[in-house]
Amino acid sequence: MKKACLIVMIIITGFILASCGGEDTGDKIVIDFWHMSPVGSTSFSGMKSIITDFNESQDEYFVRGTGFSFWDYWDKINVAIASRTAPDIGLSTIDDVEARAVSGALYNISELIEADTSDNNIDLSEFRQSQLDFATYQGDLYAMPFSATTRVLYYNLDMFTEEGLTEADVPTTWEELKTIAKKFDTLDGNELTRLGFDPTYGNATYHGWLWQKGLDFFDDNKLPTLNTQAHIDVLNWIINFNSEYTRNQLTAFGEANNLLGTNPFASQRVAMIVEVDGLYQIIKDAGATFNYGVAPIPIPEGGTRVNWGSGFSIEMYDNGKDETVQRDGAYEFYKYLLSKDIQKRLAEVNGWIMSHITAMEEYVAGNEILEKLLAEVDYAVDKVYIPYAPSWHGNDWQPYYQEALSGTMTAEQALAAARANYLQKKQNYDDTN
Amino acid sequence: MTKTISIKKLKKQENLIGYLFASPWLLGLIVLGAFPILASFYISFTNYDMISAPKFIGLANYRILFTNDALFWKSLGNTFYHVIIAIPLGIIVGVCLALLLNNKIKGMSIYRTLFYLPNVVSIVAMALLWLWLFQPSFGIINEILAPIYKLFNMEPLRWHQAVETSKITLIIMGLWSAGGSMVIYLAQMQDIPYSLYESAEMDGANWIKKTIYITLPLMTPSIFFNFIMGLIGGFQVFTIAYIMTSGGPSRSTYYYAYYMFDKMIADQAMGMASAMAWILLVIVLIFTMVALRLNKYVVYLGEEA
Repeated sequence: MKKACLIVMIIITGFILASCGGEDTGDKIVIDFWHMSPVGSTSFSGMKSIITDFNESQDEYFVRGTGFSFWDYWDKINVAIASRTAPDIGLSTIDDVEARAVSGALYNISELIEADTSDNNIDLSEFRQSQLDFATYQGDLYAMPFSATTRVLYYNLDMFTEEGLTEADVPTTWEELKTIAKKFDTLDGNELTRLGFDPTYGNATYHGWLWQKGLDFFDDNKLPTLNTQAHIDVLNWIINFNSEYTRNQLTAFGEANNLLGTNPFASQRVAMIVEVDGLYQIIKDAGATFNYGVAPIPIPEGGTRVNWGSGFSIEMYDNGKDETVQRDGAYEFYKYLLSKDIQKRLAEVNGWIMSHITAMEEYVAGNEILEKLLAEVDYAVDKVYIPYAPSWHGNDWQPYYQEALSGTMTAEQALAAARANYLQKKQNYDDTN
Repeated sequence: MTKTISIKKLKKQENLIGYLFASPWLLGLIVLGAFPILASFYISFTNYDMISAPKFIGLANYRILFTNDALFWKSLGNTFYHVIIAIPLGIIVGVCLALLLNNKIKGMSIYRTLFYLPNVVSIVAMALLWLWLFQPSFGIINEILAPIYKLFNMEPLRWHQAVETSKITLIIMGLWSAGGSMVIYLAQMQDIPYSLYESAEMDGANWIKKTIYITLPLMTPSIFFNFIMGLIGGFQVFTIAYIMTSGGPSRSTYYYAYYMFDKMIADQAMGMASAMAWILLVIVLIFTMVALRLNKYVVYLGEEA
């Protein structure tokens, strides 16, 4: 018995020691790269092979990739940047590149592009100007767009056919949206079992609807607006979209959706929904069998075709240690990640829309839904960065939005209260900066 | 000859060895405990976005919090509400449980384990579980209460989703882990000499009288201990609100620690968040000191000589 225990112990110790070995990097320069494909995720092996291919293509640098799940990633990267232990290359959000550029945490990409004389340098014409603008601070690029997100209207084609409608009937205006949505509403006794559309479901946001009307939360001086009749009207349009049902009916329907744990569109409980391009992948992964299509989000009379697009930026972190060799090595891998072929592979691995224009055009060719999703990226606008309220659309706005939607405040009251909160935040921010 | 001075020397030497043995812990205390505390005190006087260097701004963070921040007062009020109700309720439930379990019936250790079990569960798992139990439309609690709703002809309660009931719902949920303090009460209860009960019985005291005049007075030290611990923990309430309600509805469960968290993570205002942490520390200190002063009036520590 004792002997058996001893043998097991020796084997276990052997395993532990063996796993401590790590990769043999020789005397190569090690580049750290943080991504969002952790061990066990579906994209892990794809990401790993992209990194391995780079390591095998040359013998000067060794890229060490570390994957974190999306939910853990932000805390890790923010703490790393703050403590000056950031990786050489990492992903972040493109709409707040400015904040990191101001504080000197990022390398100036424009300078690196200019200094590079190789023939595989980054071709800026392959990236959308709208995205590059977000990565620009005082005229220079401090990051590059890595991926793009877009929001579209998904519609259930089977339900359309059921109602005798065709793709020609897919709504393009707010008015049509309401008329057509009502055809799909289904009641079982007193209980709602299906809704045509709800402007708060999926990834539809108040600021998204505002933009279509040419309105926004903030003016050009980053001061909160929100106090015009037009703002109130849009919020009331959202609140009253399904007002023929009682609040209890709508809440029960929404809760039943949550209970299922899947997207209400994927579970065929709504006929139409505003969602991000990622829903395509979710429906695909869920093995859904219904027919559906995507279209631009309907716009109001005289409105603008626009959708809230966000995206990841890819950044090179300057930890203030003045390491030129390290920086140049990181830039080699940076160029590799932004090259056409790799962007195509990344699209395949992650199911993301990548930022490289030609790569994506080639990738989506022949797939009608992906083609339409990509087309909407050209109409995508990212939210503006407000230094005094970085989470203006989230923490700061959501409580007031919920009050308006649940009827504890009128649209007018909710907007006034939200605006007062922004103004107070601004005052306090100015006071301490 | 050397022996005469060696006592002093030996003492010194022993002290040194003592410190040496304690050094891993001392080092940990200084590096991981004292340093962050002092650093946060300094940061509370600065404007610090966690990326660029902190900029000293004096008392501005404190002034703003007290004079021009509506959410500061709102979250502080919510926290006081929680503390004032949750702590007495927790003590009452804990003591009642201990009284119930202080019996000599079969399988008592199983009951004790069962009541203690919720303390072993991660608070996140617990919050997610109760989220389903309290779910207004499908949750089991409203399902059980359905006949009562019908009897009084009232709308089913919306628990954590309604402004009026959200705070109380979270407090009720917290009572689930009252078994933790129950164990401490029970330990002290079993320390009470049986002779006291015996003599009371001779004088004809019944169970209620024995509880009021013997058990409870002799338990005041452990009640007091749990009161202080509850006070400190109560002011830091955060996790259940973060998971179950996101601070809503209408910010009714937006507690002080939650606002502090948002100041740091969402607003990237570490200086302001540090100031909030120090204000909270002072509040907790004041309450604890008042409680300690009251100590000698309410806590029974044996007959004075």
